[in-house]
Amino acid sequence: MQTDERLPQLTAVEKPRWYRDVRVLRVIIQVVIVGGVVAIAAFFIGNMIANMQRLGISLGLDYLTQPAEFTIPGSDFERTGTRLEAVLVGVGNTFRIAIAGIFFATILGVLLGIARLSKNWLVSTGARLYVEFFRNIPVLVIIIFAYLVVFLEPRIFPRFENAREIGPFIIYVRGVFFPWYESQANFFPWVVIMLAGVVAGVFVSRWRERVSEKTGASALSLLWGLGTFLAFAVIGFFALGGPASLTIPGFEGQVVVGGIRVSPEYAALLISLVIYTASHIAEITRGSIQAVSKGQQEAATALALSSAQRIRYVILPQAFRVAIPPLANQYLNLTKNSSLAVAIAYYEVTKVTTDIIGNGGPAPQSFLVLMIIYLIISLIIAALSNVVNRRLALVER
Amino acid sequence: MTHEDLAAGAVVAGGTGEPMIICEGVEKWFDDFQALKGIDLVVGTQEVVVVIGPSGSGKSTLIRCINRLEEHDRGRIIVDGVEMGDDIRNIQEIRREVGMVFQQFNLFPHLTVLDNVTLAVRRVRKKPKAEADELAMEMLTRVQIPEQAAKYPGQLSGGQQQRVAIARALAMQPKVMLFDEPTSALDPEMIKEVLDVMKELAVSGMTMIVVTHEMGFAKEVADRVMFMADGEVVEVGTPQHFFESPEEDRTKLFLTQIL
Amino acid sequence: MTTTAKPPVRTTGPLKWLNDNVFRTWWDGIVTVVAGGLLLWLLGSFLSWVFTSAEWDIVRVNLVTFMVGRFPREELWRVGVALLILAFAGGLLLGMSLRLKPRVTALEALRTFAVRAWPVAILVVLLLILASSLSALVLVAGATLAFIIGRGGGYRLPQSRTRLGMVVGLLSPFAFVAVIAGFGGVGWNLWGGLLLTMLLAVGGIALSFPFGVMLALGRRSTLPAARWLSITYIEVIRGVPLITLLFMGFVMLTLFLPAGVSAPSLVIRGIVVLTIFTAAYVAEIVRGGLQSVPNGQVEAAHALGMSPIQTTFNIVLPQALTAVIPALVGQFISLFKDTSLVAIVGLLELLGVAQAITQQPAFAGQGLLLETLLFASLIFWVGSFTMSRESQRLEKRLGVGER
Repeated sequence: MQTDERLPQLTAVEKPRWYRDVRVLRVIIQVVIVGGVVAIAAFFIGNMIANMQRLGISLGLDYLTQPAEFTIPGSDFERTGTRLEAVLVGVGNTFRIAIAGIFFATILGVLLGIARLSKNWLVSTGARLYVEFFRNIPVLVIIIFAYLVVFLEPRIFPRFENAREIGPFIIYVRGVFFPWYESQANFFPWVVIMLAGVVAGVFVSRWRERVSEKTGASALSLLWGLGTFLAFAVIGFFALGGPASLTIPGFEGQVVVGGIRVSPEYAALLISLVIYTASHIAEITRGSIQAVSKGQQEAATALALSSAQRIRYVILPQAFRVAIPPLANQYLNLTKNSSLAVAIAYYEVTKVTTDIIGNGGPAPQSFLVLMIIYLIISLIIAALSNVVNRRLALVER
Repeated sequence: MTHEDLAAGAVVAGGTGEPMIICEGVEKWFDDFQALKGIDLVVGTQEVVVVIGPSGSGKSTLIRCINRLEEHDRGRIIVDGVEMGDDIRNIQEIRREVGMVFQQFNLFPHLTVLDNVTLAVRRVRKKPKAEADELAMEMLTRVQIPEQAAKYPGQLSGGQQQRVAIARALAMQPKVMLFDEPTSALDPEMIKEVLDVMKELAVSGMTMIVVTHEMGFAKEVADRVMFMADGEVVEVGTPQHFFESPEEDRTKLFLTQIL
Repeated sequence: MTTTAKPPVRTTGPLKWLNDNVFRTWWDGIVTVVAGGLLLWLLGSFLSWVFTSAEWDIVRVNLVTFMVGRFPREELWRVGVALLILAFAGGLLLGMSLRLKPRVTALEALRTFAVRAWPVAILVVLLLILASSLSALVLVAGATLAFIIGRGGGYRLPQSRTRLGMVVGLLSPFAFVAVIAGFGGVGWNLWGGLLLTMLLAVGGIALSFPFGVMLALGRRSTLPAARWLSITYIEVIRGVPLITLLFMGFVMLTLFLPAGVSAPSLVIRGIVVLTIFTAAYVAEIVRGGLQSVPNGQVEAAHALGMSPIQTTFNIVLPQALTAVIPALVGQFISLFKDTSLVAIVGLLELLGVAQAITQQPAFAGQGLLLETLLFASLIFWVGSFTMSRESQRLEKRLGVGER
């Protein structure tokens, strides 16, 4: 083959100069960034360690095994318990608030969201007023209000001498006392029977679903399942000769005996968080229902599905999917907001931590532990939300 | 025919001659805008009526009044002898017997194709699951996509989705099928598959009202073609009459614009 | 046959409305009666309490404290002047934004104001009544006048001077701070009440903004180091409650400083912590905006020869940020409410004042926290509600969001 003289000679590809080579630059920039961050961190942490040594504050996590020097009201925790145990009690209290709060806030919020969409003007406007009011004030204000104004108000929660009795409830400064159960003989077997009742109830509901598929009749599976569970519970109760009795709070000298106590701090925090979070959940519910396109509703209507059937089979499943990420976000917010308990001395984990520090514990480690605990909780909620999301995701191409 | 007024603007019923849908003086306002200005129409059993017209002419509004997706303000609508009014029983009864196919398909994205088709059959017609499934598969076979039964709508093409929508409406075994611009949201290459299904449906004897821009379909399949503009029926006639010798000026103008 | 008939005479009027909205079915009727009774009872008891048994003296006497905390009273004129500057600048920006619209009469402008800002108007009137002082009236009148003048000026501003107007508008917060704190004025440590709340909120969002944008860009970077550092920061900060960060900042700050360096004031600590906190949330919002910019934009910019940095700042960021303006406003509103948490660490912003004044000798032990909290809530509510309504309007106008 003849070479064409006019074609230029191609030179080999030159390696670029190192200071212009994109790959080298990337590495250099990253080294600079990491180096900078590490240097700044080292500066501050170095200072911290130096100062701690100077002030005689212990480094490391031994402080956790030392006695806490404070008590936690409402639990059995003693001054001599270790700080680690105190933290665990705090975490337990955080969970108590978070789970109860999430449960009630969701119920209230969803009801309010549906009320917002009601055709009854009074109901929808009432819900709207609620939402617009509580969404726009800081949650801390609600908490302080609930605690200091309601629960510490002597006219509502009087001192022991003037304790109020409303039916079976007793209310005074130390909280609200409810009738509660007290386990007698054979309590544990009864619990087992009730658990069996739950399992049986699930089986019965499934069975009813299958029957409904075969015959086309309504399943009423929820009713049947619930009925089965109740049957187990009631029959078991009588068969075992009353494994639990009702205790009604009553006065004995200077104390209230019987029933169960809900402390003012817990009640105030729970109610505030529920009221506040429910207003956000209401908006999420409303938004997600409205997000289901009108065409879906029309198709369901054209198929002669009744209003209830439309909601149950077409609108709610789709609305629920849309609502999960913002709902998970609200649940996380509620859990984080529970830390505001420091303002009213409810001993969840943040309050416990501040007390540890106030009683001689080292601040950096205590806060580190606190942050890790909250990060774990955040991770749990995020992971759960992801799992639910993935299982419910609409299948696309 | 039931009314002198009907005779004036009304139309000769095609099909078997037994009236299936009667619209008498139907008027509809949206606030101050009058969308339907007194529509008289009689659709006979097994008749195929194709409704054409510019946008805003009220054609969609009219068929949406027939299954109460819109409420008409004046006039009467009677479907298979049942009068459409505020009586919820009548409304539900009519909706069971009238199937609708939408421009945007409106399949339920969280249910499989099979469940989409059987949902109303099981919950409204109260059929057992096995029977509903069988009926659904029959319908899916009729629209030529039985193999997609386990898929979700998001996994199907537009043409396939619309055919599922047709199967869903057919599974209720309606007496009338309403089509609201069924091919307008489809890519061109998928229009034919849907039109083929609709043609088969017409040939098999279903009473149909089809709002569409597909003139080929109208010429081939329609018993009557109705031209609406500004909320009124301008002209009605057989496809032959319509496309070859339209009478009204507005009709002629519209036909020149689209043909 | 093209006659346009009139719609059929429908029964309208109050009876029909009642029938449609409230008494549709008999069940509906019962719900209405019950709900209506409940609402009336609640409203009635609340109003009767407000006007009869509540004691508002504590609020009246401490009105200035609510507004500015322990600010030295003889320097209050500075706050007045600063407010006038802000009012003028606000009017200026508003007027400039209305330039493309036709002129409206004073009456129409008033009507728009009444519809959109009625909570603010009612609050201002309430404050004036409580204050019952001439200086307050002069201040409000002066601010309104400054606003109107600014609006008129902004409206008439020629397009060529737009940049000048924007600069003046955006510099006004700095002027605000300078007038109060500079020129031998009052340092931040003495700011309190609503003034401090605004300083914390505005300072927090302003400082966190560049930081948050950087984090968002880092999160999307292809450099692993930048990405991981950003992710770690964002996830850690978002995973912990604000109060823990505040405690850490306030309790541990001295530990982080070399021995001998004096700790910064409480207010600065507050702003720093709020900035650190908000930056993580701003980062997530901006990240959403960045994701919404189509890839084609970047490709086109690169094809034109623009460097990555040029692309980011000239093409991607403007579009991303415009898309998330409503969400950013929402974050500001959250921050506005979250400033109340600094009351726990001892700063006397609005909530702190509400709690502190109940300990004054004249009012201690009278259980007046209810009144002061309600007053503080009112101010929070008016601010938050008005801002979120405006944000919704803005969202509709920008056409941003789903569908």
